[in-house]
Amino acid sequence: MNALVDVWPSGWTRQQRSTAAIAVASVALALFMWLVARPLALMPEPIGPAAQEFAEGTRVTVWLTLVSGVVGVVMGLLAAVAKLAPFPPVRWIADFYVWVIRGTPLLVQVLFVFLALPMIVPGLRLSDFASAAVALGVNVGAYNAEAIRAGILAVPKGQTEAARSLGLSPVQTFVDVVFPQSMKVALPPLVNNVVALLKDSSLAYVIGVVELSNIGNRVQAATFQPVPVFLATASIYLVLTTVLTQISGAIERRLDLEGRHQ
Amino acid sequence: MSLVHPLPPAPRTPLITAERVNKSFGAAHVLRDITTSFYEGEVAVIIGASGSGKSTFLRTLNRLEKHDSGRIVVDGFELDEQCKNLDAIRREVGMVFQQFNLFPHLTALENVTLAPRRVRKTPRAEANRAALEILARVGLADHAHKHPFQLSGGQQQRVAIARSLAMTPKVLLFDEPTSALDPEMINEVLDVMKDLARSGMTMIVVTHEMRFAREVGDRILFFDHGALLQDAPPDAFFDGQRNDRIRAFLGQILH
Repeated sequence: MNALVDVWPSGWTRQQRSTAAIAVASVALALFMWLVARPLALMPEPIGPAAQEFAEGTRVTVWLTLVSGVVGVVMGLLAAVAKLAPFPPVRWIADFYVWVIRGTPLLVQVLFVFLALPMIVPGLRLSDFASAAVALGVNVGAYNAEAIRAGILAVPKGQTEAARSLGLSPVQTFVDVVFPQSMKVALPPLVNNVVALLKDSSLAYVIGVVELSNIGNRVQAATFQPVPVFLATASIYLVLTTVLTQISGAIERRLDLEGRHQ
Repeated sequence: MSLVHPLPPAPRTPLITAERVNKSFGAAHVLRDITTSFYEGEVAVIIGASGSGKSTFLRTLNRLEKHDSGRIVVDGFELDEQCKNLDAIRREVGMVFQQFNLFPHLTALENVTLAPRRVRKTPRAEANRAALEILARVGLADHAHKHPFQLSGGQQQRVAIARSLAMTPKVLLFDEPTSALDPEMINEVLDVMKDLARSGMTMIVVTHEMRFAREVGDRILFFDHGALLQDAPPDAFFDGQRNDRIRAFLGQILH
């Protein structure tokens, strides 16, 4: 579903269409977060009276996804670079990180950061939201690392050789030549990970973060009407993931200079 | 000014010296005791069968390949493990690749300005102005804002040459610059190279273009099974060739 990229006037270039789609989808996401209470308020019992709670839960879910998404991209980038480092111990640390995170359940990781980490690190005070953001970010980072590493490895060796023979340093070569090209390969799986992250953020519910799933469960518990409540909850997630997919599709088109997507 | 007693030619110091350079890939001994020097303003053409080590030798000259033993000195600096200023040496040694290796996410102009802006810290406006001049010199002023995929192979290779020239290197290495091109595009690249040679640019060219070698080369170096078999001026090399192996090679390639 990349409809948003294709609705623009036929005279526009792919870049212009993509940019417009990214802008529109981003504004739509912001508006949705801001105004979602209004359509919900118009709905019958039990949704209407709980509209403000649902809206607040939606905002927390999106905020949690954004914060842990940023943490996850940074972690993923660091781990990907570390996995390709020439110095073996650096590679081992990155391999260990990815191995542990991918080999254990996210739920356990969320509980671990919230309950166990403060015991291991005395003086560490993390709110429920911060704990969830750290756990989710570190988790998605391990998956991002593989995506970014694959992207980096997909850039032909000749690109590095050309950059180095022009006198660019290894860091300049990475920043200006290799990394931008690696994103074309890494972006689709990265976006997949962020969409999965949006849904996985519901696990923050177990440590008491008042996000969308938590709200759904509370309203359900108060009204004993699980069917409308969870349909509404699921619909809000669906709107969010759809908007995210539109943004990512548009970014992908934007990077696709050769026009292979068409 | 005396026309009667011209000054004796100044003793030339070589820009690049290779001494007994050896290199192996596993069991394959691809460079055997290569010893030679390259001088300023000279066009040296390296030819030989594929697998003879000519490209590998070229790539050792800016250390894209490390040599196993021997010495390589570029512009007064030896290329070795302790070499701290490899980036500095590479700025002085431009390289043009068989597959162009343009940066596909950048326009022609951005390809040319990247190194001056990042390495020499040239301001963007100044780098753009210089780049447009160089692109005009290779006949691509009108294509400055296109991406590589919008250009033909010949145009891409000319952008790649412009990209190297933007760093004002002391020597340009060409690694089979026309081998990946369709026949009708070879001449546009060779013409640019001839212009460069006429302007006094020091060039070391690995190629199969024998007409170019004869016309533009000051020296022909023939590589055979990793060894430098002959180093001769073009006339002697092409017309007075005594070596049977080279005669056989030329016989195959010229017909």
